[in-house]
Amino acid sequence: MNFFVLEVLIGGLLTGVLYALVALGFVLIFKASAVFNFAQGSMCLFAALALVRLMEVLPVALALLSAAAIMIGLAFAIERLVLRPLVNQEAIILFMATIGITFFLDGFGQSVFGSEVYTLDLGIPKDPLILFDGVIPGGILVNEFDLWAAVAAGVLVAVLAVFFQRTRIGRALRAVADDHQAALSVGIPLRHIWVIVWSVAGLVALVAGIIWGSKLGVQFSIALVALKALPVLMLGGLTSVPGAIVGGLIVGAGEKLSEVFLGPFLGGGIENWFAYVLALLFLLVRPQGLFGERIIERV
Amino acid sequence: MKQIGEPILTADRITLAFGGVTALNAISFGIRRHEILAMIGPNGAGKTSMLNVINGFYHPQAGTITWKGETRRRMRPYHAAAQGIARTFQNVALFKGMTTLDNIMTGRLLHMRRNFLWQAIHFGPAEQEELAHRARVERIIDFLEIQAIRKTPVGRLPYGLQKRVELGRALAMEPELLLLDEPMAGMNVEEKEDMCRFILDVSDEFGTTIALIEHDMGVVMDISDRVIVLDYGRKIADGPPDEVRSSPEVIAAYLGEER
Amino acid sequence: MIYREAGQFRTSYAADQAVFPVLQDRVFVCAVALFAFFIVPFLASEYLLRAILVPFLILAIAAVGLNLLVGYCGQISLGSAAFMAVGAYAAYDVTVHLPWLNLLFVFLIGGLCAAAAGVVFGLPSLRIKGYYLAVATLAAQFFFDWLFIRVPWFTNYASSGSVSAPPLSIFGLRFDSPAGRYLFCLALLTVTAVAAKNLVRARMGRIWMAMRDMDIAAEIIGIRPLHAKLSAFAISSFIIGISGALWAFVHLGSWEPLAFSIDRSFALLFMVVIGGLGSILGCFLGAAFITILPIFLNQVPTALGIPLSTAMISHLEFMTFGALIVFFLIVEPSGLARLWAICREKLRLWPFPH
Repeated sequence: MNFFVLEVLIGGLLTGVLYALVALGFVLIFKASAVFNFAQGSMCLFAALALVRLMEVLPVALALLSAAAIMIGLAFAIERLVLRPLVNQEAIILFMATIGITFFLDGFGQSVFGSEVYTLDLGIPKDPLILFDGVIPGGILVNEFDLWAAVAAGVLVAVLAVFFQRTRIGRALRAVADDHQAALSVGIPLRHIWVIVWSVAGLVALVAGIIWGSKLGVQFSIALVALKALPVLMLGGLTSVPGAIVGGLIVGAGEKLSEVFLGPFLGGGIENWFAYVLALLFLLVRPQGLFGERIIERV
Repeated sequence: MKQIGEPILTADRITLAFGGVTALNAISFGIRRHEILAMIGPNGAGKTSMLNVINGFYHPQAGTITWKGETRRRMRPYHAAAQGIARTFQNVALFKGMTTLDNIMTGRLLHMRRNFLWQAIHFGPAEQEELAHRARVERIIDFLEIQAIRKTPVGRLPYGLQKRVELGRALAMEPELLLLDEPMAGMNVEEKEDMCRFILDVSDEFGTTIALIEHDMGVVMDISDRVIVLDYGRKIADGPPDEVRSSPEVIAAYLGEER
Repeated sequence: MIYREAGQFRTSYAADQAVFPVLQDRVFVCAVALFAFFIVPFLASEYLLRAILVPFLILAIAAVGLNLLVGYCGQISLGSAAFMAVGAYAAYDVTVHLPWLNLLFVFLIGGLCAAAAGVVFGLPSLRIKGYYLAVATLAAQFFFDWLFIRVPWFTNYASSGSVSAPPLSIFGLRFDSPAGRYLFCLALLTVTAVAAKNLVRARMGRIWMAMRDMDIAAEIIGIRPLHAKLSAFAISSFIIGISGALWAFVHLGSWEPLAFSIDRSFALLFMVVIGGLGSILGCFLGAAFITILPIFLNQVPTALGIPLSTAMISHLEFMTFGALIVFFLIVEPSGLARLWAICREKLRLWPFPH
């Protein structure tokens, strides 16, 4: 029935927003330091673990602040221990270093905060809602939690977009992303910028971790969500904040729709690779993603 | 004494535009076999764009190129290379991770025949071919007097030497037409004299047709047989150096009009 | 003192282009080869052969394959384990349907299937570059992960999803024993390494390196990007496919699709980067490093007598592994091969300081 399609579509779009949240962290770091931070998913997990264990001993507000502080501390540590020594290295070296950070964070987070499955409950209602009851017979079944998550993501994106376009620091971030040396030569403090960017990405990871953690429970598989965010990045473009959102929507919807309609022909379980193939097809048309910066190569 | 022959390449009303900017405006000219043609003009006149069109990097919106009798508008750079057109670049497009020797050896790629299976075995036909090409490359290295930097990774060489290595790579292709984009940029007087000597030797010994873009008027007047002047994408002069030097349009383009 | 090149003149181009122009190097490599072929099989314990040396050899083969693509041709591939899987399952299906076929041909066909898959999944590299390409190669990883689980034909309709390799024998000679497996893998590694080294110093290697260094400029000397990139994917995947078949048949014996998951892909990439991109020697060193490290890390807590749960040990391993990767990349981003080259430079001067 048509309405079933609509339901799947809306469900997919909402999931897509959640992917976009994780992708956002990637975009921020890439935009400002040209580093592809493979550790973003582990940062989500780390943040969620920290929060959930802190909430066992502190009231929610304090726990949130402490978790945010921990992510900022992590940003300092990463800048000092990893980024600074590797400042002029090739892209692949930096990329591998972030994979190293991934392994480290996974192990560290789980050894310090524990490796069981924790429930994270911040009081966001999780009941199923029936919308558009008057317009469509039977209405559309939507999860209230997903709606709240979408709202949170939307607010975050708007804030970040304004931050990048309007503030002085945002401008400095864009300068750094464009050309490190040029930015240095106009007096932009590279290290401060990196700490700021990784902190913001850490806070985004915290929000993403909260949302995914509430949805799935805080467990190791959250780190793997990063692998879902990668096709979003490819589709939307590595350097675009709106691209992350649009990419997330396309991937989320595409995934769910394909699972329902293509899946039965192919044996099911095609979610894992469908997003990648979808992104690949888009890339063949636009090699830098939908909103990514055109890579101009000169001889 | 070399004989300048019939046109080997003819450009016919080439028009190239990027968005709103017209880089080349209905330019027509011919390059004759064995001659040394210089292309000069103020910055932004479209000289490099013209070379890019000949080479296949840019595809003109209108006009055609006739190369050795065949007319075409679009061509991939590797077709141009396979048909005997070699090129150097303003910004030195060498492979920075390889040594001088390896870079010049890459110029021999078009002449290497043995497939990858023979290469994997190495001993036998592939090795023979490799050594034969090595011998030719060494002759080019001797010719360009860069023996000492044979094994140096190209990224570490000074700019002037990199330009020489790039010339070597282009020569290794045994081209019929050699396109040189500012081959003497950034060189001092001695290096320029050496470069001029090399270019003249190449033209004399191998009969290679040469088209070069150059800003140094002394060089242009000394070594070229013919000069083409471009200004804002139009051709404003085409003739022997002396004629061009005294042409009023050229003087106006470079020095401005008299009031 | 020992490592002097004085007196060693190269009087022909052939001598100049030799892989080991210095006599001491030739002697050293011959000694290592003789030791590996004739002494190790008799001296090494069964555990050492089966659990450390055989996986090291097979992964070194895979690393050679991956280095050709990533190090020499500059195309990042994050899904290499998928091509190992293709090689393994192709080989398995050949033994199921053509059981009389010589094992060497079985592996060859496995490699060829992997090469075909490599070409298909390498096609996007003609349009897509850099990180976008890296992520695109993950498509191969997840696709084949799914394919070998969900399409039962590949696993010969096994209900558990796991399959077993037939007994290992070639021309009637069984090489099931640990020493036999070791020698077989060593022989294949030698052949692969020699072929790869020959390729990278010949036309093919120069084409790949030109694509890596400046692919737009590579066209001006007549390189066709299609041919260059796809040949890299094809040859690289061929070698990786064979290593996958070896991994399944010779090392594991019986396996399921999880054996070729994304962790394996990352392990291969680590080997290549830590060993040294663009260096055949680096493949050996990187494979050794990544093979030995987990074993080493596993022994440390018990050696120190600290009582830790297995989960904790596993977490600590992850931490140490990650930290070591980062540390290594900071200290020597060009990899172990570069460290080795520096050692040799110092040896040439020893005992003089400069």
